[in-house]
Amino acid sequence: MNAPTDRDLILRAKRGESEAYGEIVTRHQTSVFNVCYRILHNRNDAEDLAQETFMRAYDKLETFDIEREFGAWIRRVAANVCFNFLESQKTSLALDEERDQDKSPSPSQQVEVKERSEQIRQALASLPSNYRLVVEMRHYQEMSYDEIAHELKIPLSDVKSHLFRARKILAEKLHAPNG
Amino acid sequence: MHLTDEQLNEYLDHETNEREQIELHLKTCHECSARFSDLQNLFLELDSLPDLQLTRDLSKRFNPSRELIRVPTRWFNLTVFAQATIALVALIIAIPFIAIYLQQIDTTMLVTSFAEVQTLWNTWLDALSTFEFESTAFELPTLPIVEMSSLLISLAGIFVVWIFGNGILLRNQIRR
Ligand SMILES: [Zn+2]
Repeated sequence: MNAPTDRDLILRAKRGESEAYGEIVTRHQTSVFNVCYRILHNRNDAEDLAQETFMRAYDKLETFDIEREFGAWIRRVAANVCFNFLESQKTSLALDEERDQDKSPSPSQQVEVKERSEQIRQALASLPSNYRLVVEMRHYQEMSYDEIAHELKIPLSDVKSHLFRARKILAEKLHAPNG
Repeated sequence: MHLTDEQLNEYLDHETNEREQIELHLKTCHECSARFSDLQNLFLELDSLPDLQLTRDLSKRFNPSRELIRVPTRWFNLTVFAQATIALVALIIAIPFIAIYLQQIDTTMLVTSFAEVQTLWNTWLDALSTFEFESTAFELPTLPIVEMSSLLISLAGIFVVWIFGNGILLRNQIRR
């Protein structure tokens, strides 16, 4: 027997079968969690917000266009949920910068030999949250500049400047002689 | 003139209209082509980031709790069986009583008592509409229930058994 497609499961979930939605969650939870983790860099928050993402998506499943790809849609919802979370966390810009600084590796940590993926995560974590979000949307969700501008409600020029600056910072951190 | 960072970024993001111009320049300029491959490497590194695994299952919240559809326990089955048996026995015992009672019913008397109830009801409605409550209005009519006491007692007994049985059922449901 063939496994049901996402489309079948969503049609069933729309009719009120919560187990069908449970199966959808099982399929997409890892990718959704990773969206949250790349943006938040905190496992607990990322797991909570991934759960939150699936709850919100379930509530507005009625509005989901069945012809769209669910995976892409739910990852976008996740980025949005994380964005709102970061906005609510951001009591002031100064506080945010302070927190971001705390996450950047200390010189002693940099000397340690780390897995490359861990270095990439550290570099991502060192970015300001709005840069991180744009990187997530462009690199991991393959959204166009226009789509990002629309999603984050910022001008196209800001999307570009955030993205290009973020890449410059990442390149400096990752391609430094001892980085 | 060299390519700008913006041009290189837009080229890799597939967001430029000057693809041919950029490609032409990259072929001839070592400096720009080095910057280009650095940026390309960064893209590849970001793409290579592996997925982390969750420590909890997020689908649990959407799967109906198995507790709600679990198999009835032995206690549950026993109570249902006992209740059904008692109800059946009570019914069999009640048959002679009902038979005797049915023979004793005076149909004309029943009709008059129904008429009495109706008159009483009308009186009550009148009293309610005029707010004149006379003590006589609340007198109950005489019903042919003299011979029913034994039947009533057995019925009351069945009710008690029934409620008690349901109590046990509910208690077991709540406990689990
Ligand atoms: Zn050049």
